[in-house]
Amino acid sequence: MRKVFFPRTLDELWPLLESEPGAAIFSGGTDLFVKMRAGSADPGVLIGLERIGELRGIRREGDGVRIGACTSLKSVLEDPLVRSGLKVLETALKALGSPQIRNMGTIGGNVCTASPAGDTLPPLYVLRAEVEIRSAGSTRRAPIGEFITGPGKTLLGRGEIIAGIRVPAPQGLNLHHFEKVGQRKALAIAVASLAALMRISPEGVIEEARLAWGSVAPTVAVSVGAEEFLKGKALTRPVLEEAARIAEASFFPIDDIRATAGYRKAVAGNLLLRLCK
Amino acid sequence: MVERRKTYIPEIGRTVIRADAEAKAAGVEKYAADYYGEGLLWAGVRRSGIPHGRIILIDKSEAENIPGVKAVLTGADVPGANRQGIVHKDQPVLCDTKVRYCGDAVALVIAESREILKQAIAAVRVDIDPLPGVFDTDEALRPGAPLVHEEHKTGNILLQAEIRRGDAAGAFAGCDAVIEESFEVPFVAHAFLETENGIAWQEPDGKITLVVSTQAPFRDKWEISGALGIRMDLLRVIGPYLGGAFGGKDGATVQCLLALAAQHAGGRKVKMLWDREENFIAGYKRHAVKMEYRAGAMRDGTLQALHCRLYYNSGAYAHLGGEVMALGMEHAGGPYRIPHALIEGWCVYTNNPVAGAMRGFGVAQVSFAFERIMDLLAAKLDMNPLALRRKNALRRGDSNSSGVTLTGSTGIASCIDAVERHPMWRSRSAWKAEAGAFKKRGVGVAAVFNAMGYGRGLPDSAIAKVELTPAGKIRVYCGVSDMGQGNATAYFQIAGQILCQENSSIELVQPDTERTMPSGSASASRTTYTYGNALIRACEELRKRIIGRTALVLLADTVERMELLPGKVRHLGTGREVPLSGIAAMMSEQDRTCIQQFIMPVAGDSLDTGKAFFIGFPHLLFSYAVHLARIEIDELTGRIEVKDYLAATDAGRVMNPQAYEQQVQGAVAQGIGYALHEEVLMMEGRVLNPGFAAYLIPGAPDVPEIVSLAVETYEESGPYGMKGVGEVGINGPLPSIANAAADAGGLHITRAPLTAERILEALAQAGKKNGGKRK
Amino acid sequence: MKIDFLLNGKKIELDAAPDRRAVDLLREDLGWTGTKEGCGSGECGACTILVDGESRLSCLMLAAQLSGKKVVTIEGAAGDPEIRPIQESFVELGAVQCGFCSPGMILSASALLKSRQYPSREEIKEGLCGNLCRCTGYHKIVDAVGEAARRLKDGE
Repeated sequence: MRKVFFPRTLDELWPLLESEPGAAIFSGGTDLFVKMRAGSADPGVLIGLERIGELRGIRREGDGVRIGACTSLKSVLEDPLVRSGLKVLETALKALGSPQIRNMGTIGGNVCTASPAGDTLPPLYVLRAEVEIRSAGSTRRAPIGEFITGPGKTLLGRGEIIAGIRVPAPQGLNLHHFEKVGQRKALAIAVASLAALMRISPEGVIEEARLAWGSVAPTVAVSVGAEEFLKGKALTRPVLEEAARIAEASFFPIDDIRATAGYRKAVAGNLLLRLCK
Repeated sequence: MVERRKTYIPEIGRTVIRADAEAKAAGVEKYAADYYGEGLLWAGVRRSGIPHGRIILIDKSEAENIPGVKAVLTGADVPGANRQGIVHKDQPVLCDTKVRYCGDAVALVIAESREILKQAIAAVRVDIDPLPGVFDTDEALRPGAPLVHEEHKTGNILLQAEIRRGDAAGAFAGCDAVIEESFEVPFVAHAFLETENGIAWQEPDGKITLVVSTQAPFRDKWEISGALGIRMDLLRVIGPYLGGAFGGKDGATVQCLLALAAQHAGGRKVKMLWDREENFIAGYKRHAVKMEYRAGAMRDGTLQALHCRLYYNSGAYAHLGGEVMALGMEHAGGPYRIPHALIEGWCVYTNNPVAGAMRGFGVAQVSFAFERIMDLLAAKLDMNPLALRRKNALRRGDSNSSGVTLTGSTGIASCIDAVERHPMWRSRSAWKAEAGAFKKRGVGVAAVFNAMGYGRGLPDSAIAKVELTPAGKIRVYCGVSDMGQGNATAYFQIAGQILCQENSSIELVQPDTERTMPSGSASASRTTYTYGNALIRACEELRKRIIGRTALVLLADTVERMELLPGKVRHLGTGREVPLSGIAAMMSEQDRTCIQQFIMPVAGDSLDTGKAFFIGFPHLLFSYAVHLARIEIDELTGRIEVKDYLAATDAGRVMNPQAYEQQVQGAVAQGIGYALHEEVLMMEGRVLNPGFAAYLIPGAPDVPEIVSLAVETYEESGPYGMKGVGEVGINGPLPSIANAAADAGGLHITRAPLTAERILEALAQAGKKNGGKRK
Repeated sequence: MKIDFLLNGKKIELDAAPDRRAVDLLREDLGWTGTKEGCGSGECGACTILVDGESRLSCLMLAAQLSGKKVVTIEGAAGDPEIRPIQESFVELGAVQCGFCSPGMILSASALLKSRQYPSREEIKEGLCGNLCRCTGYHKIVDAVGEAARRLKDGE
């Protein structure tokens, strides 16, 4: 039998993290419990964060939005601030799991799991989100791209948790796009995904482009080259095809039971063409 | 829409709410998985994990010493023949000398809790000396290939057979158009939601009772008796409603293991419940098949000749492999007149999971091949695909490609007409032209059929039992399991129709070898047909008896003008009435119970072919269908989306429109999974995707609206003119979708499933071809 | 560990291992077998229950997570005026075949109809994407949820 703790405040949490260094910390449990069942995780102690009110909630902060780490994916999806300003994240959340998974899973959990296929990650990359890392005595922040250091790996050290995600307002970025390719329409792990955030002038010229792909590299793939290339151009097929060609250098996909590397690579590039005007 | 009346007479021909729906929707219907009990023990299996090897040693001492472990049993502890199998007894309950696939059972563990069970299963030390394995039929057929069953006298060939009609080799010479192509379909899983499970206990007198999620409770009894050497009268199998089965619970899953566990449980209840992974690793699969086709036609489209070679991958054991292949071969020529046919088949042992029965039993596979061939022929002859099919469609009185004279209802041509008249077909050009950016649209059809019943060589029999209870109600003792297809409700309707009783006065008893009568398996589209025919006889007999006995009560000198009404019998002449409870009171139990048997008719032709088939060939009665799929291919991802679906089905007369649609729609959805993404992925016999996270079945958003047209014929031998509708619907989606893909972008796909990856690749190939032409 | 929660309106108090799965607590310890298990890994939705009105997967929940919560399983549906009509329309419109997915499906439908009064067919399908059914092809399930939405609105 495992020991299970549900601290109600952060103040209750910190000493637990100290006294139970081997504990697995979970929020929704949709990832950890699957791993435990499969035998790939077998922690002796579990600490659930679901009852810590301080870790939940969405609020405006500065010119951006701060999302508490243990806010359920459903609450994020339905939040007016997210729906009005963070369309790219909203679209990705709609494609994530199922209603039950979104009710249980949290945004902090999706970030911490750091799966190459995590559906919130490409949108958070293009939104330039920052992860707020808390421990008993300190708070530090890291851009999402630095926070995730590898598949399943993050900057989180002993005694640290994610407290929240800060998303700066994507001012002037008027094109929000997300598409995920799975083996079926819903409740499927991404074989490839693309989040795009752009500023397009009234004349149709790309003034800024941010692109991030899921499932085509150990972590989210970005391509500065493609983003630079798109600047000053229009969303035409030849332009997007060239951007896709440039981006290919950033894709390091693997073969697995869902798709071959070759397919992932081809589709990741193709997904850009959906932006054709 | 259904009438929302609470009380009604469940009659034939109208939508009758399922007799089981209310309890299931309320969560109170008890499936086998829902049985627990005081002092429950848990049983589980240590599986080989190795596809082929010789057992050196099974050391159970460590597992036995874990507190809470009741017993650890191996092959040496199995008291009987230790062999199970429906036709060929080749599968050990617990392996004794060899393992033949990764799911083979090497030890049975009984423990106080699930946690201890898990720990103890892991603690059984199994030492297996691996042997080279064979996984693919080509490999297995190669001379000198490792043998899966050394003692089998035809090596890895479980069954080799041919169906020959006319002179196929000679007839090709005279054909104007010949198509030659090879096709391949993978192993797929039934993916029923209630995994294989049961509970069992032994009484002090030695009697063992099992409650099992099973399609064949009576056969289970024989199976257990033989494998474990237990006297038949000491076994009782109860088969509640199943949480799905589709063929996957036809045959031994937990039965023998559980009975063995019960013998070592000291009278306590013992439960075995496979988890989803175990279901994938050890459960039955649909056969993977390789198919080589050659078909020839005259310029006007008349089919002349067919030659095909079919290789069914049976996996490690026979199960129903030979019979599945037999049915596939019988359907290999499609629902068409083909004067010259040579159909050859090899059912081959490999070290893969065991293939067995699954909805569309061998037929779903060949349907892909023959219906792609028909479209290729249509293209070559520049004919409309429906016109080509109509030209060759079987009619009543024709002989099919096995040489059987079709004396029963044969509605394939009417199904073709129904599709041709439908707006989905008529508007296809306009619909295709409306495809959006990066989308290609296509429309495909498929004409399919599916035999009903066991075929020759064994009686397709059912014994119906119906009782007037002392309370004056009607109780039907269902001999055939209801795995969700709704046959129990059909019985409910038959009793209501003949005995004129209201829904609340008709009770259904689910299969129980001590209460219901042996009536065969829930399979082969036979459940309503065979048992229904028997039940009609039994209900008619009961009706006569009730009326006859009423005459005694009323001192009537004749049974004329005596009518059975809800809850009573009335003498119309005098208006005098007797409640059924009153009549029941004066009848003995024997008198209140009617038992009648029915045996399905078989083909009368003396065929000089198919001699290798032990049982299950040929068949006399078939259901037919023509399906139409409208699909959209995404050029950027290769994903196929099925936008609209039409199924025109001839399954005789419709007894219950809602139940009929349920079967069609459910089969089509399952078929869409087969067409688009389902595949049990294997590497050297190991299942790579044993679970619902990686073996995806269609979810609600993946299935389009499915329009079902009932093209009613009258099947004279069927209850109220019906034929089975459970299976035919699964044969259409793969070929109709593949034909639609060809229509959309010239994509000639010969390997299922049509994954996005395969489609993207095919699009690139087709692009190169077109590019080349333009230059 | 002592676990107390409200199950279908009844107060439940029992001792259970805190890491026992919620689905096992409901089915085995309490005998409420209406909640089914189809996969154990959150992929099929058969084990769906409502926790404080939200649909959750009881195979991916610990017993301890139920503490202090209001839990509704399919057995509580008959007494719930917002779920009963869904149950009825499932029965009448033929949305139940083998029935093993039905309890979870009905509870997911009820969660959907709480957040969306007049869902389109597409929205219904999306709302039920976490519940797999192998028998029906979903057609009649979508019909039934649509009909239930109508009845709930009309107060039938």
